[in-house]
Amino acid sequence: MSDQAKVGIVLVSHSAALAEGTAELAGQIGGGTVTIATAGGTDDGRIGTSIAKVERALRLADGGAGVVILPDLGSSVLTVRALLAEPEDLPEPIAVADGPFVEGAVAATVTAAAGGDIKAVLGAAEEARHARKL
Amino acid sequence: MPESCEATVTLTGDLHARPAGALAMAAAKFESAVELTAGTGRADGKSVLAIMGLGAAGGQEVTVRATGPDAREAVAALIDILTEATRVGS
Repeated sequence: MSDQAKVGIVLVSHSAALAEGTAELAGQIGGGTVTIATAGGTDDGRIGTSIAKVERALRLADGGAGVVILPDLGSSVLTVRALLAEPEDLPEPIAVADGPFVEGAVAATVTAAAGGDIKAVLGAAEEARHARKL
Repeated sequence: MPESCEATVTLTGDLHARPAGALAMAAAKFESAVELTAGTGRADGKSVLAIMGLGAAGGQEVTVRATGPDAREAVAALIDILTEATRVGS
């Protein structure tokens, strides 16, 4: 199971620091075997999102088993959708997860690390909304 | 009739995020359903978030229960991780 390609993760955030910190956290909990690429902030380093950064992250995260994208807030979805509307030479398959950013990233990474397919990784990210922390 | 197996361990340290990830990843390798119990809390052993949500602390007993064809192996693997990964200082 461990020698097959793993699903990649792309974290899309309005903040580069938020995306990178979440990737670092999820990577540590997931044992560091999953590729987590980030697309945080605008092209000139402000708070916002960037189609070019999402595109680059998708290519980085692709290991042949597909990529799950986690947007931090609803408006990141607009940027992702704009890119996916014209998917030229993007990895396949790609799924966008409707779930909490931190919990979703951690659950998706652990599921991908365990060899889960794109459906399982997407499911883990979305199921994260039901996880209680208290 | 699926095989069922369980074992209990007393944590030597708190069950933090990294061991929770290690437990979920190990549990996912088994076909059996795996459940962790700590106090009144129950968690799906394949869900890292549920395991963290247990809030299991050092000194507390955690029971691992597995049901399925590889239940025995699943319980052994998870007990090992609980014993190793929650050692104080790790």
